[in-house]
Amino acid sequence: MATRNRTVVYRRHRDAVKSVRAPLFSSASGSGGPVIEMASLLGSNRSSYAPLSTEDPGPSRDAFTVGLPPSWVDDSEQVAANIQRARAKMAELVKAHAKALMPSFEDGKEDQHLIEALTQEITDILRRSEKRLQKLSASGSAEDSNIRKNVQRSLATDLQNLSVDLRRKQSTYLKRLQQQKEGPDGVDLEMNLNGNKSRLEDDEFSDVGFNEQQTVKIKKGQQEREREINQVVQSVNELAQIMKDLSVLVIDQGTIVDRIDYNIQTVAVSVDEGLKQLQKAERTQKKGGMVRCATVLVIMCFVMLVLLILKEILF
Amino acid sequence: MVLISAVRDYINRMLQDISGMKVLILDSHTVSIVSVGYSQSELLQKEVFLVELVDSIYKSKEPMSHLKAVYFLRPTSENIQHLRQQLASPRFGEYHLFFSNILKDTQIHNLADADEQEVVQQIQEFYADFVAIDPYHFTLNMPSNHIYMLPAVVDPSNSQHFCDRVVDGIASIFLALKRRPIIRYQRNSDIAKRIAQETAKLMYQQESGLFDFRRMEVSPLLLVIDRRDDPVTPLLNQWTYQAMVHELIGIQDNKVDLRNIGKLPKDQQEVVLSSEQDAFFKANMYENFGDIGMNIKRLVDEFQQISKSNQSIQTIEDMAKFVDKYPEYRKMHGNVSKHVTLVTEMSKIVEERKLMLVSETEQELACNGGQVAAFEAVTNLLNNESVSDIDRLRLVMLYALRYEKESPVQLMQLFNKLASRSAKYKPGLVQFVLKQAGVDKRTGDLFGNRDLLNIARNMARGLKGVENVYTQHQPLLFQTMESISKGRLRDVDYPYVGNHFQQGRPQEVVIFIVGGTTYEESRSVALQNASNSGIRFILGGSVVLNSKRFLKDLEEAQRIARSSTAVI
Repeated sequence: MATRNRTVVYRRHRDAVKSVRAPLFSSASGSGGPVIEMASLLGSNRSSYAPLSTEDPGPSRDAFTVGLPPSWVDDSEQVAANIQRARAKMAELVKAHAKALMPSFEDGKEDQHLIEALTQEITDILRRSEKRLQKLSASGSAEDSNIRKNVQRSLATDLQNLSVDLRRKQSTYLKRLQQQKEGPDGVDLEMNLNGNKSRLEDDEFSDVGFNEQQTVKIKKGQQEREREINQVVQSVNELAQIMKDLSVLVIDQGTIVDRIDYNIQTVAVSVDEGLKQLQKAERTQKKGGMVRCATVLVIMCFVMLVLLILKEILF
Repeated sequence: MVLISAVRDYINRMLQDISGMKVLILDSHTVSIVSVGYSQSELLQKEVFLVELVDSIYKSKEPMSHLKAVYFLRPTSENIQHLRQQLASPRFGEYHLFFSNILKDTQIHNLADADEQEVVQQIQEFYADFVAIDPYHFTLNMPSNHIYMLPAVVDPSNSQHFCDRVVDGIASIFLALKRRPIIRYQRNSDIAKRIAQETAKLMYQQESGLFDFRRMEVSPLLLVIDRRDDPVTPLLNQWTYQAMVHELIGIQDNKVDLRNIGKLPKDQQEVVLSSEQDAFFKANMYENFGDIGMNIKRLVDEFQQISKSNQSIQTIEDMAKFVDKYPEYRKMHGNVSKHVTLVTEMSKIVEERKLMLVSETEQELACNGGQVAAFEAVTNLLNNESVSDIDRLRLVMLYALRYEKESPVQLMQLFNKLASRSAKYKPGLVQFVLKQAGVDKRTGDLFGNRDLLNIARNMARGLKGVENVYTQHQPLLFQTMESISKGRLRDVDYPYVGNHFQQGRPQEVVIFIVGGTTYEESRSVALQNASNSGIRFILGGSVVLNSKRFLKDLEEAQRIARSSTAVI
């Protein structure tokens, strides 16, 4: 894949042009007259294609400082930073999941808490970013609107991918957790361990069904599972909401909307449409009855005033 | 793959070293070049948040100096003018200029003069000056394509412009591939000869430093041929998916515009048919209509299965699974509707114009002998009320191209019938085609009736019978490719430029058809490449033709030819 860099040639020529232009202006900071003469002389000597600028380049260059980006850029940068933070937290979550799935002797309650806290945090970040993203379209000028829309789209795609990722990690974790708890024959493993021990001790009661200890265990297991299910439902709901809101913004890959030339066309069309609407609005406003009424009233006021003055003078 | 990936690499390199928010500014040609290889979402990932055309950009005056401007333009004088105006009053913080072809020194000087504020950070030449519509097929989308049919003296400046653009396009292909070819051209075509010689001059003399790449043992081959050597292929109706869509509806830069066809929902009015992005299309683009129907039915059945399972959401797990799979589901839904819509519309058109009947006769005319039977068939179809004007014209043209010498009386009869039946098309156009591409003007053995070997082959084929009457035609390009593969392309017909010579077979061949390619030919090339013969063929043309476009070019050329002879 061949390329050729012409920057060196370009810079050389640009510097040459600059050095020819510069001594011209160093002596003529205030006087426009002689500068114009010298410029025209120079212009006729070289075969120049554009008229040399007769302004002093100094102040104009200072005036062209690197402008500050508009305010919505701060918002978009915030959202981008949030997405980064959410990604870091997801990595932590994965580690916490792995740790919780490892067989341990403790209850594992603190692991659960950590996982809950992390999941909650991530969902919060996503929700806040999404709200901020929605606000992005409202602010800013009309010129910027294309850029804003595109920035929105790209951030929305990132957010959507993150939420899908979170969803998937959660569901795999839960699936594995359930598998672990239930074991191969669908019986609670913990219960089994205790059950075995108690069977050794109370041999004669082993076939009476569940004893008290085991009933309590079952109830606690059920409660826990219920809680987990509620959690899952809640997070599914939240994420579904986020995805629904985002799907309006995200581009479907491979469709016509994803084509660059289609987007340029629609911009041109909408700009033209916008211009037409503005012109129509201007015309209706000018022709508007309001303006006419107002002018008539003002004229009548003046007429009345004149009559009043006349009345005073004559009488 | 190689063409599309070359364009993508160029665009990636343009954007990757520039950090921060960017605006990409293109001209009307580079828009097509970029759009077929790069998608909007990929641009967004590279932080390009605005795309504009160079000629419309200064309608708005708001300065956006927090953006960096990346220009990708063709090095034409209009673009340089636009750039000069924009550099004089810059709107953006930094300017990075990329040109799709070789810049002249005067153009660089012009730009340097205008760049008083010194906003330009780099100027580079990135040679992506062609539209890579398929992995081995490119086009140049030239607007006044008909110029190639006229001798240069009729309109010398436009002829020169045409040749320049073609030479630029071919040069950029070889720069993108980093090779310098041996050049051959079709002997009896003046314009092919001119293009071949100018390309050789560019590559071996004017810019020989730029083209001085590492030499492999076998140089690649550039073959420049003329559309008029095979006027039959663009006139035929097509029955394989991609070619059929272009023939009946029209594909432009891999987009299909369905707005004039009928009442369609908003998201199906313009669709994308790209083998890179659509796996179903990639698998079916060269299949014939019957097989496509079956495959689409299978696709629809699969889709219905999935949507049924989506509807029965009973448990939490089902809900979770649905939310996970929703984006894929939506994409599949869009894809299925697109293909179903296309096939439905095409079936409607086939029904209306009785194309199955017409096409059978067309294929007979193109492939098999039997002048008497052909005359009868064409006469019947001309008498048939439901055959449209353009189809009548095509039939008469095909008959004329095949039997122009055999029975002039009957040919005149057909002309008269055409004149009486068809309001729009006059037989003068058929005579023009014969003048341009008649049997005296052609090199190749278009109908397989010149040498004994071909006649024998045809007879054998006739006896064996064909698999599918509608797809029995092989474009002449197929024979040319076979000759090249066997190293038997005749020097008499396709001489070398200057003192080039090639021993043995090339491993890479670029065939450029002056006047335009067709999708039937690109299918032929793709199938040839897939057969692993050890040679890689790339096909390109000034436009991509269908019968409408070819006839329009003929009409335009005829009009100009008439008016110029009237002047003289």
